[in-house]
Amino acid sequence: MTPAHFAFSSTFMLGLSGLAFYRTHLLSALICLEGMMLSLFIALSLWALQLDSTSFSAAPMLLLAFSACEASAGLALLVATARTHGTDRLQSLNLLQC
Amino acid sequence: MNPYVLFFLLFGLGLGTTTTFASSHWLLAWMGLEINTLAILPLMTQDHHPRAVEAATKYFLTQATAAAMILFGSTTNAWLTGQWDIQQAIHPLPATMVMLGLALKIGLAPMHSWLPEVLQGLNLTTGLILSTWQKLAPFALLLQFQTTSTSLLIALGLASTLIGGWGGLNQTQLRKILAYSSIAHLGWMALILPFFPSLTLLTLIMYLIMTLSMFLAFKLNKSTNINTLALSWAKTPALTALAPLMLLSLGGLPPLTGFMPKWLILQELTKQELAPAATMAALTALLSLYFYLRLSYAMTLTTSPNNTAGITPWRLPSTQSTLPLAIAATTSLLLLPLTPAMTALLKL
Repeated sequence: MTPAHFAFSSTFMLGLSGLAFYRTHLLSALICLEGMMLSLFIALSLWALQLDSTSFSAAPMLLLAFSACEASAGLALLVATARTHGTDRLQSLNLLQC
Repeated sequence: MNPYVLFFLLFGLGLGTTTTFASSHWLLAWMGLEINTLAILPLMTQDHHPRAVEAATKYFLTQATAAAMILFGSTTNAWLTGQWDIQQAIHPLPATMVMLGLALKIGLAPMHSWLPEVLQGLNLTTGLILSTWQKLAPFALLLQFQTTSTSLLIALGLASTLIGGWGGLNQTQLRKILAYSSIAHLGWMALILPFFPSLTLLTLIMYLIMTLSMFLAFKLNKSTNINTLALSWAKTPALTALAPLMLLSLGGLPPLTGFMPKWLILQELTKQELAPAATMAALTALLSLYFYLRLSYAMTLTTSPNNTAGITPWRLPSTQSTLPLAIAATTSLLLLPLTPAMTALLKL
């Protein structure tokens, strides 16, 4: 395991554990998701750089575009949740349990 | 919803699944999954009530996490082995991660708890899309990539059949019951996946047909809980007579279609000397059968005490097309004699 590999793996795992265990605000969940996507961006771009593969160099940009779409969808849902539930606390998302 | 927007979103759903089907590269497969998720979110929130927004938020969080896990697994695989191909052998550690991501995406136990809540917040049409079309892309990946973790899949499958049966016992909401039935069927598919992938495909197709017929029947009745089912005999008598058979087909009783996948899976598991797992799966199917039977009891086998307005409700001719329901109901009841043809057609 190279240092770069360790770095992006631990970043991703930190983001994932933050998403899984820190459950107070929807915004922090979205930020954790964004951190995970950015660690994947670093992983893809370092992979393309290390192998000098020109055909793969578009992949990090594609990933970034998709993660931006995902983040904007998440923010739209944040706004929708704030309008319907009055808060962005994940605790208040309890209408569907039983 | 504006028809152009609706067309665009449905086109996005089709495009995402097709991209995942056609790709041999993990990044492209991930893009297909993301397009799928992003396209169904506006469909989920088309009614602006809190339950729909909550369901969409929960769906978004789980699907985004699952997609990120899948991509992280494949990136780690690329760092370790240097290739991105889906069908090539994959390193065991990222294989487990990809497997868990896909299990979270389709809602296998113990990563299932989002599925009943999300389905409960949607209307029946979007719920139908969610529990049929959205399963196709993850299953295309599950069927393609070669996993070595047989025991993980067996554990996931047995946990799903158990929890799918157990969780549905105490439910009165039809969408939650259908969600738990989906979890139980996905458990059967995961159970047979390492041994006989074409059986997984067969089970998936049978499950899609049966779920389609149940969702369409509930949609025709406009019923979302057991109580409203009790009045369906006054609205659609023929459908009320057929619905218990469709439910028993979902439960897997012999002369009906649903028996075919369960029969073949149990036979294959016994051939692989996994008789304990086969016994467990068959016994947990009884739990599912209990709530299917309770649904058919409430719908057909009993007459609830009603007033006159309940016996002869005001009926208008329905504007919904019943042709899909007729086809789905027929195939979900009568496909068992075609078992040899189906197994021959679905060789992977």
